[in-house]
Formats: sequence, C-alpha cells, structure tokens
Amino acid sequence: MPTPQDQFWYKDAIIYQVHVRTFFDSNGDGIGDFRGLAQKLDHLQELGVNAVWLMPFFPSPLRDDGYDIADYFSVHSSYGNLDDFKAFLQAAHDRGIRVIVELVLNHTSDQHPWFQESRKSKDNPKRDWYVWSDTDTKYKGVRIIFVDTELSNWAWDPVSKEYYWHRFFSHQPDLNYDNPAVREEMWVVMKFWAEMGVDGFRLDAIPYLVEREGTSCENLPETHAVMRDLRARLDKNYPGKMLLAEANQWPADLRAYFGEGDEFHMAFHFPLMPRMFMGLKLEDRKPITEILKQTPQIPSSCQWCLFLRNHDELTLEMVTDVERDYMYDQYAYDKHMRINVGIRRRLAPLLDNDRRRIELMNGMLMSLPGTPIVYYGDEIGMGDNVYLGDRNGVRTPMQWNGGWNAGFSTADPESLYSPLVLNPVYGYQAVNVESQKRFDHSLLCWMKRILKVRKANPVFGRGSIEFLYPANHRILAYMRQLEKESILVVNNLSSTAQAVELDLSRFKGNIPIEMFGRNIFPRVGDLPYLLTLGPYQFYWFRLRKI
Amino acid sequence: MADESILTDEFLRQLIDVGEADVLVGVPTYNNAATVGQVVQAIRAGLLKYFPRERAVIVNADGGSRDSTSDLVRGASINDLQHSTDLNALRTLHSISAEYAGGPATGTALRTILASAELLRVSACAVVSPESTTIEPEWIERLLRPVYKGNYDFVTPLYRRHKFDGLLMSNLVYPMTRAFYGKRVREPYAAEFSFSGQLASHFLGQEIWTHEVGQIGTEIALTISAVTGGFRLAQSFLGDKPRADARSADLVDAMRQTVGAMFWSLESNVSLWSANGQSQTIPTLCEGQEVTLEPLRINRKRLFDMFRSGVAELKPVLESILSPVTLGELQGIAALDEDNFTYGDELWARTVYEFAASYHKAVISRDHVVQALAPLYRGRAFTFLVQNREASAEQVEQNIENFCLTCERLKPSLLEMWNGRK
Amino acid sequence: MRDMIVNELTQATQELVREFARFLPRLLVMLIVVLVGWLIAYLVKWVLRSFLRLIKFDKLSEGAGATQLLNKAALPSSTELVSRFAFWTAWLGFVLLGVSALGILGMQEYVTRFFVFLPRLLVALIFLFIGLLAASFFSRAALLWAVNTDMPSPRLLSSAARVLITVFTASAVFEELGLADSTMLLAFAIVLGAVMLGLAIAFGLGGQDLARRFLEARFAKEKQEGKDREDELSPL
Repeated sequence: MPTPQDQFWYKDAIIYQVHVRTFFDSNGDGIGDFRGLAQKLDHLQELGVNAVWLMPFFPSPLRDDGYDIADYFSVHSSYGNLDDFKAFLQAAHDRGIRVIVELVLNHTSDQHPWFQESRKSKDNPKRDWYVWSDTDTKYKGVRIIFVDTELSNWAWDPVSKEYYWHRFFSHQPDLNYDNPAVREEMWVVMKFWAEMGVDGFRLDAIPYLVEREGTSCENLPETHAVMRDLRARLDKNYPGKMLLAEANQWPADLRAYFGEGDEFHMAFHFPLMPRMFMGLKLEDRKPITEILKQTPQIPSSCQWCLFLRNHDELTLEMVTDVERDYMYDQYAYDKHMRINVGIRRRLAPLLDNDRRRIELMNGMLMSLPGTPIVYYGDEIGMGDNVYLGDRNGVRTPMQWNGGWNAGFSTADPESLYSPLVLNPVYGYQAVNVESQKRFDHSLLCWMKRILKVRKANPVFGRGSIEFLYPANHRILAYMRQLEKESILVVNNLSSTAQAVELDLSRFKGNIPIEMFGRNIFPRVGDLPYLLTLGPYQFYWFRLRKI
Repeated sequence: MADESILTDEFLRQLIDVGEADVLVGVPTYNNAATVGQVVQAIRAGLLKYFPRERAVIVNADGGSRDSTSDLVRGASINDLQHSTDLNALRTLHSISAEYAGGPATGTALRTILASAELLRVSACAVVSPESTTIEPEWIERLLRPVYKGNYDFVTPLYRRHKFDGLLMSNLVYPMTRAFYGKRVREPYAAEFSFSGQLASHFLGQEIWTHEVGQIGTEIALTISAVTGGFRLAQSFLGDKPRADARSADLVDAMRQTVGAMFWSLESNVSLWSANGQSQTIPTLCEGQEVTLEPLRINRKRLFDMFRSGVAELKPVLESILSPVTLGELQGIAALDEDNFTYGDELWARTVYEFAASYHKAVISRDHVVQALAPLYRGRAFTFLVQNREASAEQVEQNIENFCLTCERLKPSLLEMWNGRK
Repeated sequence: MRDMIVNELTQATQELVREFARFLPRLLVMLIVVLVGWLIAYLVKWVLRSFLRLIKFDKLSEGAGATQLLNKAALPSSTELVSRFAFWTAWLGFVLLGVSALGILGMQEYVTRFFVFLPRLLVALIFLFIGLLAASFFSRAALLWAVNTDMPSPRLLSSAARVLITVFTASAVFEELGLADSTMLLAFAIVLGAVMLGLAIAFGLGGQDLARRFLEARFAKEKQEGKDREDELSPL
C-alpha cells in the first residue's frame, strides 16, 4: 500500500462515489466493468480524489440496482470477476487511491441461496436467518421507506406460508440479527474483503438491523451492539480500515452510531444536505447554521461525511412539512422529479446549470467540517433523466467524450444498460470529460483546483468550526481552525451582490490571504471587516499574523 | 424616489441588514410597552402562518419611547443567532426598531414606514396600531393577502364594534369623505390598513409632508390620497376594535386628526370633489362586519349640556363661521329641552359644510375653526344616541346611510360657499 | 427833532425790509419743501395703500379685532387708516424740515426730537397691532378650550385672557413711547398680580375638585376600575 499508514486517513479523504456499471465498458457489452474502471483511474487521479467508494457490485438480480445481493463473495458477471477486481484494487492503490466497498448487511435478495433455503420450510436450518412471522401485525406502526412502491413491511411467502420482514423492497428480505450465526457470517463477509485489501466499508441501511416490538425498529441499542462487535473485530484484525454508516436520521440520533469511537468511523450527515439547497433558494443561511448548531459533538477519532448528491433521491425525510413543500415547489415542480420522499435530480439540473451556484455548493462542501464525497459525473456537471424509473435517472453512463456512446462503450447504443442523456444542454455532446479537459475555465478544471487547495490544507478535514453571525443573513461565514491555522470562509448565498461586515475582533492584526489566488487583503483592524461579494461568490482566507 | 433624508442613520443601518423584503408590517409607537408586546407577537404569528416563504420584516418607527417598547419589538425577530425555539420558521424574520427624528408624531412614523417600504422594495405593506390588543394573526392575512396577490392597492379595515363606538367616524368623517370623494370607505381614519409598494411611492411624493397634516391626521390624508389617485380600493373585515381608554377619548385631538386633516385636504382636491357625483361602494373582503348591541352606560346629559353651553358661549366665534340662518337654527334648537331636542341630518350637514367653507377662507385661525365644531358635534352625538337607543344593527346602518345621502345631496351648497362671497 | 424821527423810522423800516428780504428766500425754501413734501407724502400714501391692499391687510386686522374697534370709533378701515397716518407723518416731517430751514432758533431742537421720536412711534404701533392680534387669538383659544373641557364660565376666562394681554400690550406701547412708562408698568404689575392671586385662591380653594379631576385625568391612568360609573366611548 503506497499510502502512509495514517489511521485517520479518512479525515483527509476526498471520496469519489461511483458505480462500476456506469463508468466505463471495456468489453463492449454495454455495461461498465472493473477492467474499464481500472483504465479510467487516471481521470480520478488527475481530478485529485484519494478514495473511491464503489456501489454494490456483488452478484444480484439487480432489482434494486445491486442492493439486493445474491452472493457476498463474488463479483457480478457483468462487471468481471474477482481477479478483475483485485487488479483494479491494485491499480487504485498504486495511484494512492483507497477503495471503499459497500456491504449491505440489513437484507439480501430473495434470490440469495440463504433465503432460498430459509423459505423452503419452517424447520429449515436457515429458517432463523430471516425474520418470519405468521401474522403481519408484529412491529405495528413502523414506517415504510419506499412509500411509492411498498404498502407494508411484511410480505407473504407462498412457499413457506408465512410473512417475512422487509424494510425495503419486498424482494429484499431482512436478515435476522438476533441470530448469532447471521452475525458470524457477516463478519466472515467483511473479513473476506478486508483480507483482499479493501480500505473501508460503507454499511447500507444500518439503523434497521434489529427489530423489537413496540419500537420504531430503528436505531435500537441491539443494533449498536452488533456494530460495536464488528468494529472491535475489524480493529483487531485489520487496523486502518474504515466503517462508514448510512443512516438517514436526525443528528441527535446519528450521534449514537459513533459510540465512544468504538463503532463507526464515519457517518453521512443527511440532514445538512437538503438544507444547503434550501438556504440557497431562500438566500438565507438560517437552515444551514441551525442544523449544524443542532449537530452534536462526535468523538475525536470520528468524522462526518458530507455530500451534495448521491445515487439516491435528494431525501426530504429529515425536514419539516413546510420545508418539504418549499423544496418540492422550488426544486421539483415537475411531479416526475419526485420519488418517495425526495427529489431524483442531479446536482447541475437542481442548480439550473448555473456555474456560479455549482461552484458555491462545492465550495461549501469542501469547507464545511467533514469528508466530502463527489458523485461521479458531478465534476463535469452531468444532467439527469427523470423519466427513467426509480432513481435510475441519476445513474446514466459517464460521459467521456462527444462521440459514440459518449465514449462509455463500443456497444450498440440500444444495448447500453441505461440510455444516455441526450438533450442539447446536458447531453454528452455538450457535457463530457474530453471537452472540459481542453479548456481551463471548465467545471472539471475548476474542480481540480479546488480539490488541490482542499487537500493542501488539513484544517478543512480535521479542524474545528465556529460560525460568525453577521447582520446580513444572506452571508454564511465561519472560521475553521486547527492548532495555529485559521481559515475564514465567507459564502454569499444570494443571487445579488452583497456587502457584509464581519466581527473579526479576535483576529485583529491578521492579514487575510485569499487561498485561490494567494493575494493579500487589507489587515484586520478595529472596525468590523467589510467584504463585498458578487452573486453566489465565496472567499477562502487564510489568516496570518505577519 | 425614496426620501432617504427622513431615515436616521440607525434606521438605515438596520434596513441594510434586511436587504430586500416581500412583505412589511409597520408599527408606529410611543411608549406603548404595555400593549406592543402582544401586538408584535400576533404579527409574528400571522407572518409565520400565512407568509412562511416570503421575506418578511416588522418595522417599528418609534417616537423616542422611554420604556421597553423597542426591546419588545426586537424580541420578535427570528434568526440563527437565537436559541432555536419550537417555531418552524423557514427563513429569517427581521423585526427592527429605531427612533425617527423630530418629536413623537404619528405622521412622521408613517412616513418612516413608507420610506422603509420603498427602500426595501416590498410588494405589500401593512400598518398596525400598537394598541390593538384585540389583534389576531388572521388580521395580517386579511390585510396583506389582497395587496400581495396584486388585486388591490389600498385596503382599509372593517371592525366589529358597538353601535355607539366611533360616533365621530359614523356621523362626520365617513359621510363627509364619502360625499367629497365618492367612495364608501367605512373607516377612512384607520388604525390598521395596508397598501402596495407602488402606492407607498405615491404617498411619499405627496405634498402633505411639508405641512402640519404630515404629522397629525396623516391617516386621513393618505386615505384621501389613495382615493383621489385612482388606486384600487378594498376593505377587509378584521375583528373587534379594542375598547377605548380615557386617553383616546379626547374629542378635540380626534377632531384635529380627522376633521382638520379632511378640511385641509379639500384645498388641494377642489377639482375632484367638486365634480364627483354619487358615491360608489368598494369591494368588501372577508365578510363579518358586525355591530354589537350590548347596553352601555353613557352620560348623554353631559353631551347635551356641553352642546348648549357651547352654542351660547361660542357665539362670537360661531358668528364669524356660520351663516346667520344656520346659527339662528342652532340657537333655536339649543333652547329646546332635552326631550325635544334633535339635531337633524340636514342641519348637521349644513353646519359641517359651512365650517368647511370657513376653514377654506380662514376667517379665524383654522385650528380654532376645528375646535369650534366640537361642541356642535356633541349635540349631534346626543341626537344619534337618543335616536338609536333601541335600534338594531340594520337600523343604525340605515340611519347612517340616510345621513350620508343627505350629505351627498347638499354638497353643491358647499361649492357655492367655497367660490361665493369673498 | 422831526428829522431824527423820520431818520429813525426810515432806518427801522429799512432794517425791517432788509430782514424781510433776508427772510424771504428761507420762506420760499420752506414753501418748496412743504410742497415737495406734500407730493412725496402723497406718493408714500398711495404706495403703502396699494401694498396693504395686496397683502390683504384688512383681513389681518379683521382677525386682530381691530376692524371692529375702528368701526365702533367711526374710523375708516385699517388700510385707509394706516395709509393716511403714513401720509400725515411724512408730510409733517417735511413741514418740520421746512420750518427748520427758516432758521428759527429753538425750533431745531423740537424738529430733531420729532425725528427721533418717529421710529419709536412706529415700533409702538407695531407692538399695539401685534398685541391686539394676540389678545384676540388667545382669548378665542381660551374660550374654545374652556368650552371643550367643560370649564365653568368660559367667557370670563376668555375676557380675562384678552384683558391681560391688552394691558400688557398697552404697557409695552407706553414704555416704548416713553410716556408715563413707570406708571403703566406699575399698573400692569398690579393688575397681573391681582389676577394671579385671585386665580390661585379660586383654583386652590374653590377648584379643589376640579383640580383633582384634572390632575387625575392627566397622570393617573389606572383610576378607572371600580370608580368607573360610565363607559367610555371612543369617537374614532
């Protein structure tokens, strides 16, 4: 492993989220694969990311885009085989890029041999591996997650004539974590991949592992116990590996997943993400500062994971009704854009393809406390297709160039796993890596620059945050500090030019040095520091006392 | 363009922090700490409930209160500096308070609020009295929504009041403004009203600000300005009018603010009011105006006595104001005893018109003309109280309507007097 | 002897004639000055009258109550009065000027004193006018206030105000003119003192209740509960 054995590497990471299927097809079957992904690692290295998170690539009937797993120890044949994966892993490590894979622990596909066994009869040895009941009235009142498709958390199995529990699709039965055999097997799965050299695991649907009557069946203490156990074993046998929790909960509930530094290393900060979009439309920093004020302190070894968009819908579960209606009206006025309790659009279309807003959001992503995740395609401003089913509209093929199949595959366009985005604004002829590499002012080049600045300053990943509350509520300003290093970040959330007076009295005598151009700004004096910002502009200043 | 010189530096600084707003609620105050807290909380609730997405601001123009009025207003703001309450407010709500220059004067406060509305480029602005203890959050909706939706420029209120509450309004100000300007605005002198940003600019451009009416009686002048400017008017039912206290019951002050301003406005609008024909109704939104009928103990005798002594003692003054015929009739009815006394519609209308003409000619100091009308009004109030003692709500309204029609009918006589003897 | 008388007579006559001859030019000058003065005074009167008509001086004096006074005294209107006064004053001035040209000793002093007196006269008249205006205004204001606040005997208050201000004005005028000024001042002081004392006694002893009510209404806002025997109605 070329990367240094820094046990807190994840605090300095910049993660690139990608599905192997979408990235690059090396064998012309219309589906991206590991060999292709390995070939495109240069793009990631040039971009400047130092970790890649792969979405599920295990064998699966693909009824939930790979989150319905049929075999934990192999690679789906469309993407290659284990050898291809290992080669990719090595290639990534050679370039200093860590690899994070997904483990879906909560449920399997109903095509998984375990379930096939389990459903055969009520006495089957694997019966207890899943959650069965003869009625569908247990765990009453537990919310349904995929509200657009499912009517109940119980599904009737005609084979063994009992109900089985599923928090997600009905073809994804939940594993039974009260069964020690299940817990043991999950460790075996984790060990398998850790042994291979994978650097970290994103654990999907973590809050729902354990069920108990009379509860919401989410975030139960037993669930945390399972995780702590896994973590302990991982630390003991494979130090330096990272666990990332996917738990769409309020910040106060998320705190529990870090334990005392003995559970997850990282967790996604879900509630912050819609509020960043909200703050932008409202032109008011209030939603952002308030959610971060409510965010609890986490153990020093832990880290938040921040993101703007991902493969799922932009979730509006963790907002109030007024906020949800506002977001729908502002960002998803077309009903096609809405799914479950969220909005299934990519970053660029959400921001009206406004370059300034895209830069501002990325600027906030890179400067707020946490490890940022860049969703594949957002570095070039890819568009979406809201008319594809489920969340597939944000999972279209990566657009490499303006040619055949956007340079994604040599296959027939009709045989691609998903149609390409074709419209004149976001289509692959307009938005692709090749053309953006040629022009210095492209979004891709800008992303490279900001990633460079971010990586050069560990204060962003590891420092504290202190908000300034200037009278102009359209300005979001905060200090990032780590030991002697002080960085001032000022963001203009408004579409019009703004002036702001910042109270920097604590930093009197310091000289702000703008971090992108490295130009010096006037010294901080006795009076409030006056800054003016253009529409959606932001500043990063290093404060130095010279 | 906004007349920025009337905004103090402190005011301007706070407005800069607000930036731009969609709706504005203005509250003019002077030592109202007893009631303003409740009023501002109701405004806040109204804004949060009915305008959650709009950029809203509460602007308090204060005349130099020495009590905690300013703090109470500022405490209503919602921003990220405070501890989060259980209010689910989507965005920051500003609540600013600053003192205006010059002494306490409602007119100056209103002008400050108008200037704020213009500078902040609001679409809809409402003014609320700090003494309206009966205010509900719905008032904000009923005042602002018609203007914000773009259907109307000026909305005056309608209240649920006792049939004998607001006699000056129903027996003088309403009938007269209706007769002069042709629109049946039931509450031309309103403690609460709303207007569009466009109308705010129009108001600021008026001449009234350089005269005394720009400080006292501005509300009526603004109503008249909105009517004469051809803006779209409406009235909206709000709720109960708060019961008077001794301070607000001072008749001479009330007359200065209403009758004085009204007479003054006649000067600049001669061409308009001389040409108007029959009055027209204006749309009434949110029905609900009621007249309550509970029995009240009112000292009627005092009104009658003051009328009588007024007519007697003020003879030299009245001689220079009224025509000999009218004065003779007044002396005649003053000689009657309480049971037979009645100050009829026609005589009262003629009285008021002659006062208006004398005001125009400034036979004596204009303020004295207004003051001289007060005892005569008391006589009229007495008659109204007696006539409507047992009357139902409809009857009361009908009586007022009859008087209004009488005023409209007799208006040409005012025109004669206006242009007539020099 | 006869020759002596004739000689003396002739001499005396010749003296007289010589004196007369010396006097004649001065007389002529005086007549010219008087004539010219008459013309100028007439011009002044005409200009002043037009000016006063323009500013509607009659109106103003009507407000001052001066017109009524003049009517009672069967005098012409204020404009006319002022213009005529200006005429006579101006002409008198010229006459005196002419007289001084005669060179009669002793007259000089009187002429000078007249011209010194003139501005003071003007000021005094202005005082008078303003004083009468103020008296009229304040007496009316007092009347209206008393009537509207239901005070007893409003006429009395009104007249008292008028008298007070008129007396004050008169004393100021006399002081300005320098005529029996100390007497007038004393008179004014006595009247004022007496009135004030009277009011104080009346107010203090006789108007106790009234004073209490008045002060209560002004300062104590919470006196309403319990004592309220009637409901208040707001006129608006």
